[in-house]
Amino acid sequence: MGSSRSRFSAYSLVRQGVSGRPWPRMWRRHELESSYDAVVVGGGLHGLATAYYLAAEQGWSRIAVLERSYLGGGGSGRNTAIIRSNYLTPDGVRFYDHSLRLYADLSAALNFNVMFSQRGHLTLAHTDASLRTMRWRAEVNKIEGVDSEVIGPDRVKELAPSLDTSDRVRYPILGALYHPPGGIVRHDAAVWGYARAADAHGVHLHQETEVVGIETSGGRVTGVRTNRGLISTPVVANCTAGWATTIADMVDLPMPIQTFPLQAAVTEPVRPFLHTVVVSGSLHVYVSQTDRGELVFGASVDPFASYSTRGSLEFVEGLATHVLELMPSLDRLRLLRQWAGLCDMTPDFAPIIGRTPVEGFFVDVGWGTYGFKAGPAAGQALAECIAGRKVPALIEAFALERFETGKLVGEKGAAAVGH
Amino acid sequence: MSEPMPMPMSMRLPAQPGEVIDREERFSFSWNGRSYPAYSGDTIASALAANGVRIFSRSFKYHRPRGLLTASHLDPGCTIQVGEEPNVRGAHRLASPGLDVRSQNTWPSLRYDVKSVNRLAGRFLSAGFYYKTFIKPRRLWPAYEKVLQRFVHGGVIPDRPEEHDAEARFYDKRYAHPDVLVAGGGPAGMAAACAAAEAGARVLLVEEEHRPGGHLRWGDAADLTLLAELRERVSAAGVEVMCDAVVLGRYDDNWVAVVERSPAGPAFERLVKARAETLVVAAGQIERPYVFAGNDLPGVMLSTAVRRLVNLYAVRPGERAVVLTANGSGDAAAADLSRVGVDVAAVVDARHGEDVVRADGRGGVRWVELGDGRRVDCDLLVTATGWTATTALLNMAGNRPVYRPEAARFVPDLDTLPDTVVATGGVVGDGTREALCEHGTAVGEEAARRAAGAAEQSGEVPSRAWPGVKGAEGARAPSAPHPKRPDAEGLTPEPHPELIHGRTHGFVDLCEDVTSKDLLSAVEEGYDSAELAKRYTTATMGPTQGKLEILNVVGILAEATGRTIQEVGTTTWRPPYAPVTLGALAGRRLEPVRHSPMQRWHEEHGAVPLVAGAWIRPDHYGDPGAEAANVRENVGIIDVTPIGKLDLQGPDVAKLLNLLYVNKWSKLEVGRVRYGVMCAEDGVVLDDGVTGRLGEDHYLMSTTSSGAAAVWEWVELWLQTEHPDWRVHVTPVTTAYASINVAGPKSRELMERVTTGVDLSPDAFPYMRVRRGSIAGVDDCVIWRIGFTGELSYEIHVPSAYGLHVWASLLAHGEDLGVAPFGIEAQRILRLEKGHLIVGQDTDGITQGYSADLDWAIKLDKPDFVGRPELAWQRQRGDHPRLVGLLPLDADTVPPEGCQLVEGAEIVGRITSSRRSPTLGRAICLGQVAAHLAEPGTEVTVRLPDGRLTGARVAEQLASVDPEGARLRV
Amino acid sequence: MLLLECPWCGGRNASEFAYAGEPMPRPDPESAGPAEWRGYLYLRANRCGWTRERWYHRAGCRRFFEIERNTQTHELRPVGGGAGGPDE
Repeated sequence: MGSSRSRFSAYSLVRQGVSGRPWPRMWRRHELESSYDAVVVGGGLHGLATAYYLAAEQGWSRIAVLERSYLGGGGSGRNTAIIRSNYLTPDGVRFYDHSLRLYADLSAALNFNVMFSQRGHLTLAHTDASLRTMRWRAEVNKIEGVDSEVIGPDRVKELAPSLDTSDRVRYPILGALYHPPGGIVRHDAAVWGYARAADAHGVHLHQETEVVGIETSGGRVTGVRTNRGLISTPVVANCTAGWATTIADMVDLPMPIQTFPLQAAVTEPVRPFLHTVVVSGSLHVYVSQTDRGELVFGASVDPFASYSTRGSLEFVEGLATHVLELMPSLDRLRLLRQWAGLCDMTPDFAPIIGRTPVEGFFVDVGWGTYGFKAGPAAGQALAECIAGRKVPALIEAFALERFETGKLVGEKGAAAVGH
Repeated sequence: MSEPMPMPMSMRLPAQPGEVIDREERFSFSWNGRSYPAYSGDTIASALAANGVRIFSRSFKYHRPRGLLTASHLDPGCTIQVGEEPNVRGAHRLASPGLDVRSQNTWPSLRYDVKSVNRLAGRFLSAGFYYKTFIKPRRLWPAYEKVLQRFVHGGVIPDRPEEHDAEARFYDKRYAHPDVLVAGGGPAGMAAACAAAEAGARVLLVEEEHRPGGHLRWGDAADLTLLAELRERVSAAGVEVMCDAVVLGRYDDNWVAVVERSPAGPAFERLVKARAETLVVAAGQIERPYVFAGNDLPGVMLSTAVRRLVNLYAVRPGERAVVLTANGSGDAAAADLSRVGVDVAAVVDARHGEDVVRADGRGGVRWVELGDGRRVDCDLLVTATGWTATTALLNMAGNRPVYRPEAARFVPDLDTLPDTVVATGGVVGDGTREALCEHGTAVGEEAARRAAGAAEQSGEVPSRAWPGVKGAEGARAPSAPHPKRPDAEGLTPEPHPELIHGRTHGFVDLCEDVTSKDLLSAVEEGYDSAELAKRYTTATMGPTQGKLEILNVVGILAEATGRTIQEVGTTTWRPPYAPVTLGALAGRRLEPVRHSPMQRWHEEHGAVPLVAGAWIRPDHYGDPGAEAANVRENVGIIDVTPIGKLDLQGPDVAKLLNLLYVNKWSKLEVGRVRYGVMCAEDGVVLDDGVTGRLGEDHYLMSTTSSGAAAVWEWVELWLQTEHPDWRVHVTPVTTAYASINVAGPKSRELMERVTTGVDLSPDAFPYMRVRRGSIAGVDDCVIWRIGFTGELSYEIHVPSAYGLHVWASLLAHGEDLGVAPFGIEAQRILRLEKGHLIVGQDTDGITQGYSADLDWAIKLDKPDFVGRPELAWQRQRGDHPRLVGLLPLDADTVPPEGCQLVEGAEIVGRITSSRRSPTLGRAICLGQVAAHLAEPGTEVTVRLPDGRLTGARVAEQLASVDPEGARLRV
Repeated sequence: MLLLECPWCGGRNASEFAYAGEPMPRPDPESAGPAEWRGYLYLRANRCGWTRERWYHRAGCRRFFEIERNTQTHELRPVGGGAGGPDE
């Protein structure tokens, strides 16, 4: 990738500092060409990773990524950057574990530090029912080779002393699923790293380029209409989040997806005190502390479908209540900013990735709240799917047809278990 | 390493006309361990400044010394630790006796911070440097990460939840329903509030500072006179004023959040949630810093900071000053300084092209280089280079500001606002104090008029009569567009030179230590949209969130990318407008708890609680095994109040049951009960329970405890949307009854002792029947003869007020029978022995009916029921997993619930329930297994949590105790 | 906080309601094939803009009702201009 002149390292940092010369551009601007071999819709993590792997691993050239706004401006820049692979179904565990492994090597692979902090991931159990589901997950994880175990409250306290593990709280902590390889990534860095690497492989990144239509002929894709002109192409990959059905509607392809906002918030920085990712399913909250000292919070999707990213007061009220239930000494910590991203929710909480009945129209959508964790593996698998004749085994379970055949993925199994 | 002791109050000026300090009330507080005097009314920063303190913090990345810049809540250099509270705004928080105030993130001390060596390394630590290094080797990254974390720029939170005293940290909430909510108590906001209130509207005025008045407070004599008048009017008009309070956000439909930072009463902070009919945004303007070399040195201050220090706090900001001014505020600051005897060495008039090139000095400004090459010694450099309109709340209401180059600021595009949001004052434009008041008055009157119109439209009774409102008597036609915005006229932004940066590079974001050079390199590297450059450099990401620096950031980006400022655009302001504590957002910690009328008895008798959703119920009373054995041998009673109960009445109830349950209901006779299972339209098991027919048109349905609310909604959904013609009346009665299950071979004998009016003999009241009668003297009890535990048992539902009485009577009357309470754990053991499934435990989110061993119940010959098509297809395919009884080959090993069944590396099922059976003295389980393993007698492999493999045999049926049900039917 | 207009109770905070999604006509269970049935189960228009949807006034009158909502701006309007309320 790229010329040696542009490699990043401590040495290059010092050399650049001494010389005062500007750094080379991360990615270039190009004229929009009238045809490409493949057009990726969506310049977020998934789209950029797809383009990168299509160029770097499948050897394709003449690839365009079309981004309506700026790179990483959608879900990629709005998520809470948690990485984990302790899913419930073997299909889910295998997929996300592959993604986690790609993340672990990503800084070196892209020569860009994505700051993957494998600090461990705790999913707290407040009821015996959730403890039972944790055990289920841990057992599936172990069989699939993923480090994951149910631990008791004492061990939880060791890992995160700020948690109130006493029994005087409304929802006492009975234990947790501990997943040491989990952690957080600097989300923008992953986007920029892929963008830079894709650019180095000749991918054209077109920002402020909106897809307004997709041309088909005889059931196959022939081109993409944009606000900057028409592109002819035999391959279109829909790598959008929030807008997956809007793009799919352009080829009259109904998708089992509903768009819900997912809100998040960040506090002012405080000195580091929380060294793992903490999730509570019962209290609908997840917390991590960034290297900058801010606490980043997320929760479940909004209670009704929407394309609005304005955010709500109810969200931060509920969030604060639940965070203080877990960590009561944070009451004087101040919330700095709240925001929302759009999530494409599928009926079984699993993605839709691969081919579609419209030839040349590929999808990498429906990631719900799990999109960021999936980016590297999804991009790699979709690139393989586009380039090859066979659907990669890693994503076989996530095909669109399952909603017609009724073979849904059981990831919802955990979520739907009662109290 | 002792720090020089400043002279007490050496920088305090004689009394100033507008000062807010009370010199009669003097006290001391502690700053970094040393005691300092202060007056009541002083902020922490003004008190320290009065004592000659100039350095308040160290900067984020380079650990440069920082002093006062804005002398307001926004001051980036004055964030401090107060006791256990981190990140306190020292230039806003009032000093009080005995406060323990410390600088944050400095070591060993504020004056000699060792991390300031970063200043030398600064040229290598360009924005985003961390992305470019620490890449290899991967194993060293955690160590690098720890180093990065050392630089975290924040205070300390107490990390001792055990010692946390929730009572001492009390937060509250309040709802408010103002007709008009005015955000900002400057002259225009006060005038608007008065006008609206005088027109009869209920008005809430929210002011971020400690007193209303805005810039009038540090103004001249005429300003102070007007201020006094306005305050009097506000009070006379009955406006509710909240000071030291700030509007955090405007959400959908004018849902406005306000935080009171020092509310009356015991609360530390209070969140006010207001549904405002009309929101008046009068948030004013924020003065912008100027970008040049040394612009972050202690002693470089904005003109408004100087005016605040001199006029509000009687603090001399320096001894010798240079003033860079482009507007009246800078001129006034120069005049203030001269008046109080500060030597104004130079006034640099930017309106005439004069400029400041750099400031320099160790630990603070010592000299300034001017545009003409002069070097002036001074310890204070004042800048007045322009304003930012505080449009955040308007943006949250949908407004996109437009850039006006001649005024050098973004102004709101008022036409894009909803009718329920209006603006006045500095956020709209500039004007004399009279013009501001006039505009505020007009807007306030219109705000009241709109609020009245909205109230009339919605048919509400207005809070008061509306005598003063012209035109209010003629109700406005619904949704008629308002002819004209009241805020669009009268105030226009004054011309102002576009001053963003000088000839040298300086700090753009002082919170984040981002320089103009960082922004330029970000653009050169390709981060050439405003959002990318901001994200990459972290400009505007710090505690002020861009309120101070946004235009400077945008201006520099515009220059670097060759676009206009309008093209680059301003930021999307997100709530909260100002940081707010988690405590205030959470408010009182009110987590509801549900429990039965017998809960007190349980607690008094050593019940170990189980949290089950909202319910708290007894898990056991000490020995669940013995409790279970007692049920098998004698008689036990369990409190099952949380079981969901729906009273169904009407001629079409049977149709409803036939639709919602997979089994048949049309032939259920009066006096009978039946077990039923509900599936969703995708065939997935939803809930189960028994339903009894109490009368011709009267049924009582029971549901799982956790499913009670959902099933009620499910029933209503089908009745209201699919079959509105069916005559069924649904009443939830879960907590109207206390429910007790009396189980065990001696349960009939016990029941006979307390029941009147019901013949309990086996022939008169057989299994799966329902009777109504009187228990322990309580009439209208419902008695079901059912058997979740597998024993002869009676489930009794008694009016809840008598629950404890009946419970106690059963215990009293059954002493000789060995009656004892049992908890959930014993019930789980018993039901597992009997092979009764638990929905949500033995089934999951994709378990369809035939996977739950419900073949016997599902009646595909019914013409229709919910989920029927999917169940029919499931049976056709036949490849589904099945719920089976599993008997571990090693009778003493109970595989934990959740253990997986494996075939080599493949998962082929899981244990859904497991216990040691006290009756059989061995491990028993239920599990879901792949279709090919479901035949009774098949041996499967269970993987235990420690990795060991063990065998289990598929049983003939789910029940391992009394599969024929003989014990139930006695 | 969205202010939802319940046809029976008037304007109330959205927190009183449960969102029940886009209503889908139930296919005839006798004749529906898997494709049609699963379309009913899983496919929704998911429009960005005006959409017709069902809400349940959980903390109020416990009635299901339909309303049109703009999924981007959160503006609300009655279905087809009628109130859909007690008068109908």
